[in-house]
Amino acid sequence: MSAFTAMMWNGFREARRNRVTVVVGVFAAVVLLSSTLVTEVTVATFDRVLTDFGLGMMSIILVFLTIFLSSSLLSREIERRTIFLVVSKPVSRRQFLLARLAGTMLTLGVLLVAMTLVFLSQLLLFGATITQTQLLASAGLWFELLIISSVGILFSSFAGPAVSAIATTGMYFTGHLTGDLYQLASRSESIAVRSVGKAIYYLLPNLERVNFRPQATYALPVDASTFLSGVGYSLAWTLVLTTLAIFIFERRDFR
Amino acid sequence: MTNPSPDAPPIQAQGLAKTYKVGFWFNRTVRALQSLDLQVDSGQIYGLLGPNGAGKSTTIKILMNLVRPSGGTARLFGKPVEDAETRRLVGFLPENPAPYEYLTGREFVTLAGQLSGLSGHELDGRVTEVMGAVEMAGAEKLQIRRYSKGMVQRVALAQALVGRPKLLILDEPTSGLDPLGRRQMRDLILAERDKGTTVLFCSHIIPDVEALCDRLAVLVGGRRVREGSVQELVSAQVPTVEMVVEGMKPEDVRGLGIPLESVQALDGRVMLQVADVDSQRLLGGVLGAGGRVNRMQPARFSLEQLFMDTLKESGRATSVGGEINT
Repeated sequence: MSAFTAMMWNGFREARRNRVTVVVGVFAAVVLLSSTLVTEVTVATFDRVLTDFGLGMMSIILVFLTIFLSSSLLSREIERRTIFLVVSKPVSRRQFLLARLAGTMLTLGVLLVAMTLVFLSQLLLFGATITQTQLLASAGLWFELLIISSVGILFSSFAGPAVSAIATTGMYFTGHLTGDLYQLASRSESIAVRSVGKAIYYLLPNLERVNFRPQATYALPVDASTFLSGVGYSLAWTLVLTTLAIFIFERRDFR
Repeated sequence: MTNPSPDAPPIQAQGLAKTYKVGFWFNRTVRALQSLDLQVDSGQIYGLLGPNGAGKSTTIKILMNLVRPSGGTARLFGKPVEDAETRRLVGFLPENPAPYEYLTGREFVTLAGQLSGLSGHELDGRVTEVMGAVEMAGAEKLQIRRYSKGMVQRVALAQALVGRPKLLILDEPTSGLDPLGRRQMRDLILAERDKGTTVLFCSHIIPDVEALCDRLAVLVGGRRVREGSVQELVSAQVPTVEMVVEGMKPEDVRGLGIPLESVQALDGRVMLQVADVDSQRLLGGVLGAGGRVNRMQPARFSLEQLFMDTLKESGRATSVGGEINT
């Protein structure tokens, strides 16, 4: 096993043994299963409610977990000095950071697959149709989490866990609103407002590019080019954010 | 990129300096290390001795690429410390080591072995070997969060040894250990030296340094103020004589007008130290004043005495830490 794989598996093992991850996993299963109760009060559009509730809950829970895991990923290692025993081995700081990100994404991926299976089982149980868009929405969520994790790691490379968590949460909400902000700003007569709206749109990641949950809820198709451009967009932002995080992390002193 | 050469000196540092910026606006500086030259040759146990804040840990952190130097160069086996490959030949035990608490001792040492490039049966065998060497085989399946401080120190040493290092860098390896643990740690270090491993360790526990080191440097306030073998450093001191006098008080002895290194009242007797050149004059003075010399012998120089003298000379007998500039 290579050093990178060993560090990545260790990250996964850490999350697996972390009480928060376990509690979140169990909570997610309970919430998803309890979505059947929502259908009790649904007169029509049964499939739509089940899909909306299921995918929405998966998103909220996993975003919470992503912020929790990523925003303390590096800072906690530095504060607790666990990093001393890892980066003193023949591994570069870049390898360490990327392996930690990979470990987090592996954890989130496993949880996402488990939640998706619970969600799809429910659909099958209630005789609802499983659509390709539902699967794409689930996959898109992983790429959204990838951007959020990269933001969390970037903040974690120079700030403490609390600051990182607050900033990452802010970026999550802004990331879902950049499109709306751009639209609003572009209607303004002020050049300054229009410029700020444009700057926010281009300088911050637009998480709506990988959010296919509305289409899944309304059973609308998502074509391959839309999905793949979202994936490409997510990977490009991940590359930018992790490059920046590596640049900062490689220059830090561990006192 | 070429591999580090095991034939090159394990450690070479020239003009090493580190200045930390501190304060809310980073407008104050602390000079933790100033122009340090260091060379550790193969097979040596080299000690860094100094009070708290002398720059020992900073030196080690620079060598392990945990801290970037503000000036100077540091090389391990002929390669710059920034090169991750140099660390393949190095085992490191930090001060107050903090292994991942959610892992068992064996899992942690296995991870360290994987990071050092070991795998398969070789890794399993090596982990078993080092866990046995540090006497942790019986507790290897326990999570580290359940370990005592001594057990954590042992597991941390095991992770340093697992990659079969040619150079061991140990930061306060005996700190926090009970006397038995300290003894075992010392034996392990000597056993590694006997296998040909070079050891650099820092400590402020003088008996450990005295018992282990072939050579040492004394650091004070971020500067190297002494360097040599224990024998060289101790024998360079001014020879003194220890004398026990009866029938006189300390002030009577001081009244003889002969410069004394130390005077101590001991239950009706006076124990004193005097430079060898003044000892005969003092003897004559004591006898002339009606005193009786109970014992007179050359004083044994200790590293502790040298250390205290060095601190006094540096004007840092009571202060610790690097130079702070505002």
